[in-house]
Amino acid sequence: MSVSRDDVLRIAQLAELDVEEDALPDVAEQMSRILDYVAQLSAMPAPTNGTVKTFVPGPDAIHFRPDEVAPWPLAFGPAAFAPAFKEGFFVVPKLGQFE
Amino acid sequence: MSDAKAVADRLVKSKRLNALLTPSKELRSALTAQAAAARPTGVLYGMPVAVKDNICTLEFTTTCGSRILEGYRSPYEATAVTKLKAAGALIAGKTNCDEFAMGSSTEHSAYGRVVHPLDKTRVPGGSSGGSAALVGAGALPAALGSETGGSVRQPASFCGVVGIKPTYGRVSRYGLVAFGSSLDQIGVLGRSVHDAARVLSVISGRDPRDATCEDRDPLRLPTVPESLQGFVIGLPREYFPTELDPAVRRACDRAVRLLRDLGAAVREVSLPHTAYAVPTYYVIAPAEASSNLARYDGVRYGPRFDGHADLRGLYRATRGQGFGAEVRRRILVGTYVLSAGFYDAYYRRAQQMRALIAQDFRNVFDRGVDLLFTPTTPSPAFKAGEKLSDPIAMYMSDIFTVTANLAGVPAISLPIGRVKGLPIGGQLIGQAFLEDEMLEAAYALERVVPATDES
Repeated sequence: MSVSRDDVLRIAQLAELDVEEDALPDVAEQMSRILDYVAQLSAMPAPTNGTVKTFVPGPDAIHFRPDEVAPWPLAFGPAAFAPAFKEGFFVVPKLGQFE
Repeated sequence: MSDAKAVADRLVKSKRLNALLTPSKELRSALTAQAAAARPTGVLYGMPVAVKDNICTLEFTTTCGSRILEGYRSPYEATAVTKLKAAGALIAGKTNCDEFAMGSSTEHSAYGRVVHPLDKTRVPGGSSGGSAALVGAGALPAALGSETGGSVRQPASFCGVVGIKPTYGRVSRYGLVAFGSSLDQIGVLGRSVHDAARVLSVISGRDPRDATCEDRDPLRLPTVPESLQGFVIGLPREYFPTELDPAVRRACDRAVRLLRDLGAAVREVSLPHTAYAVPTYYVIAPAEASSNLARYDGVRYGPRFDGHADLRGLYRATRGQGFGAEVRRRILVGTYVLSAGFYDAYYRRAQQMRALIAQDFRNVFDRGVDLLFTPTTPSPAFKAGEKLSDPIAMYMSDIFTVTANLAGVPAISLPIGRVKGLPIGGQLIGQAFLEDEMLEAAYALERVVPATDES
């Protein structure tokens, strides 16, 4: 299996996502299967001269729009949809320790 | 002009499908208010169009089928929705979908699975399964869906309706909740090519609010052609593998005969990197999703989950409890493939492969082929629960649809037959911004194909 329990915990921490202890074996197993499956991409010969250009669909260039003051685009403000909002600020718990 | 009450009655009668997330009472009052305000000169005057729940509306909540946006009411609406309303259409509620459009069966919704309109033991496909099921049940002429890897065409194929994924950049994505930004497009499901096409025509065109939307006029609808004389249609051999479901193959063979009878020149072609499309997609889409879904953290939108001592605890608890299993899995896979040490092996490789897949299409179109014809899905609608425990099996149902998203080209699925009562879809893939040619061929094929016959 390519993904261990510790790998899942490390990735979950990067993704800011709680994974419950009893779900860990299943998550590790399914992630392993998905990553083993997509690993077939490495069977593709690496470009020898490094010139495979990446492909991005969409306009060739971003068109700038005029820098004009537009009307307020929202029908109502964040107080109506934020879990906690006070005097113009989103209210959050204390920052805690960032390791 | 259809009567708002009759529209609501039809939708409420389809409740058993669990396809609509809008409560009946709210739907009725919203439809009545919209019908009173609709512009009688609009080209879609009175046409009810339901909207997938990952497209923002002012009238209804936008939950993306997720607990993390339960009860969320957007303070703005999608440009596609604004354009529909300006054309006189009635926004007929929000449709159930796989959570954040991640899934191929509409079983991954926090609000319960959607039932196939013809067989309650089967799935309607996904992720736009609610939209497809309602159109398939005859409750609506058209509905909006969204596509990242086939989420309009695959359920259209399963439910026996038409599904169009336009060229990347044809329709504004302002107000479409982002999943995989280099792949996402709003698409349309309709009971006929014309119903889907006229909705697409209305929602297409430039939008200063979306920098990835091309600066082009709205799509002009073609007329129904007498024949397909002059059209060259390619059959990519990689889309007709030996293990293809025999009923799907029979329906495709018949559709190809009909295309020839219409005067089209049909020839076999090759898109040699097709086998890598699903693994490429399942690196790029989760990578983009892991970044796009970082914004749901319990601070700005939706509910906040308790049990946190500090800010990071709040993030983790909210995201851990707010997202369902498939979304969590994709965020984790996406974070993994972007993390230090793995980026080159997975993400960079997938980006290179995507370029080769897009080049495959250009090569074929440069050699005089106008359109490609393929099956939409490898099999008809599968049983509910059948693929839930095996993500790879679920992902493989997108095998014939993800390529068009990776290459950014337009594609349409239309019904071409049935097996044991279940619809089979055929797909036409066109060149970027040549939806009109693709629609011409679809109009012509639709007119001659016995779509509801066993093939």
